[in-house]
Amino acid sequence: MNEDYLWDKSGQPDPEIQQLEEILGTLRYQPKQLVIPANLAVPRRRRYVPLLAIAATVLLALLAAGVWLRVRVGHKSQPQQANVTTSPKAVEEKTPSRDTVAEGSNPAPPAITIARNNKRRSSVSALKQREREEALAAKEQLLFALRLASEKLNLAQRKTQGTSPANQIKNQHRIG
Amino acid sequence: MNSLFQTNIKTPLLAVLLVFATALVARAQGSRIQMTSLDHLAAKASQSVDVTIDERLMKVAAKALSDHDADEREVKQLVAGIKGIYVKSFEFDADGQYSAADVEAIRAQLRGPGWSRLVSVVSKKEGNLEVYMLMEGEQIGGLAVISTNDKEFTVVNIVGPVDLEKLAKLEGQLGVPELGIETTKPKTKN
Repeated sequence: MNEDYLWDKSGQPDPEIQQLEEILGTLRYQPKQLVIPANLAVPRRRRYVPLLAIAATVLLALLAAGVWLRVRVGHKSQPQQANVTTSPKAVEEKTPSRDTVAEGSNPAPPAITIARNNKRRSSVSALKQREREEALAAKEQLLFALRLASEKLNLAQRKTQGTSPANQIKNQHRIG
Repeated sequence: MNSLFQTNIKTPLLAVLLVFATALVARAQGSRIQMTSLDHLAAKASQSVDVTIDERLMKVAAKALSDHDADEREVKQLVAGIKGIYVKSFEFDADGQYSAADVEAIRAQLRGPGWSRLVSVVSKKEGNLEVYMLMEGEQIGGLAVISTNDKEFTVVNIVGPVDLEKLAKLEGQLGVPELGIETTKPKTKN
């Protein structure tokens, strides 16, 4: 057997090798253009997956924003309350010298009490419970502050009227 | 070149905007008095009142005021333009719990431009009372009241336009007995 044939196809070929070559030759690579059959079913790409991802992201963002706003509103509404504090000593003595703070004759709870009637309450019935509570608290503070300012203004007027026979505020002058 | 042009334009524009914003804030806060210097008095006071109603709370409170009730309708009209009301009031068991510096800290702010002292009553027996107004043109832009006596120190600050006549009338309403004083419209001179 000439082994050169196996190496570089020179020399006398072995019939057995030739037979093998003929059999395997049918499987040799033959370059040809790719032809895609027309009836081949190509699976379509799922387009809803990115949309779903976007929707989920937006939903999460909205949820996070909602939680953040709720927490923020909760923090904001807390410190904006009127503080009326009474020392323990004052409570023991029960000497309510300011009738505007503890109206009537109930000085024990250190709170601003404003008479309200059902008619007034009806105006805020549409508000939500929390908003209504906040609104009523704010209203109480507002009325208290206005009454205090009114009281002081009237006191000033009474004092100036007492010092001036013309019943007018005459000692007004500009500063600064 | 483009970047240089943008920088040259942006810098003055930002400066103008900053000045404009500062002016707006200053105008809005013009009649607001800083009262935090009085916070230390709360520890000495037998009773202290601290009311802080900013613009947001003013709107919230206005919602709770009924249009059907005459008194509340009047209050609603009164507070329509008001941007905030701030009160600090302290009552003490003993004399001399607050210092002249505490009062001066408030009074000094009211010497600023626009503020006018409307009333100043000095009484050794009944205490001192000062009423200040901030004038913005022909309109009242704010009000401040300082009331002091041996055992009490009260500061009231109203931010925004306020009708003094209507405010004075409020005392006789909302369950508070009137003092029986005739109200006269104050004439302001600047």
